Amino acid sequence: MFRSVFRAAPALTRVSGMRSGFVKPTFSVASRFYASSTLSKDEITTRIADVIKSFDKTAAAASITGETQFSKDLGLDSLDTVELLVSIEEEFDIEFPDKVADELKSVGETVDYISNNPEAN
Amino acid sequence: MAKRLSGLQKEVIHLYRQCVKTAHKKPIENRPHFITYIRAEFGKFKDLSRKDFSTIEHLIRVGNRRLEMYATPELKDIR
Repeated sequence: MFRSVFRAAPALTRVSGMRSGFVKPTFSVASRFYASSTLSKDEITTRIADVIKSFDKTAAAASITGETQFSKDLGLDSLDTVELLVSIEEEFDIEFPDKVADELKSVGETVDYISNNPEAN
Repeated sequence: MAKRLSGLQKEVIHLYRQCVKTAHKKPIENRPHFITYIRAEFGKFKDLSRKDFSTIEHLIRVGNRRLEMYATPELKDIR
């Protein structure tokens, strides 16, 4: 009885090994497909600008470029920035990990992160 | 806010982030109530010294517990 189990085991691993070999390429194709369908940086910037404009605390929503800093140019304190980032997350249907959110200080950095994120839409 | 934040400050930021995210899960018409409430609650201690570690740690603990309470989906509005 045990012998049959032992004999069956290598056969099983061979099958599963083969299967993972088949699955892998499909995954890489899928991720490449997503990457090509991500948004352009200009589009992301305009959508972020819209979110910032609809945000009630911004001091100067005049012109928003990649250079715009949340704290310096928009007059937001650290907690306002958090709120703004959550609104941006909602707009693009993604979630920034806490570590990333801590580092995002300007519109440009946010655009870069979103454009490198395949799940943004 | 170009200076680096201390670990404790980051903890506060993360708590605030959790709070705002929770507020965004509430019905859209009541969200502003939650946001103003969160702002007011954090604002109460705005002038606390950054060296007042034990108070801040205490407030973070209290905040987490209250967040848990307010996060229940049955709770839909706040005044």
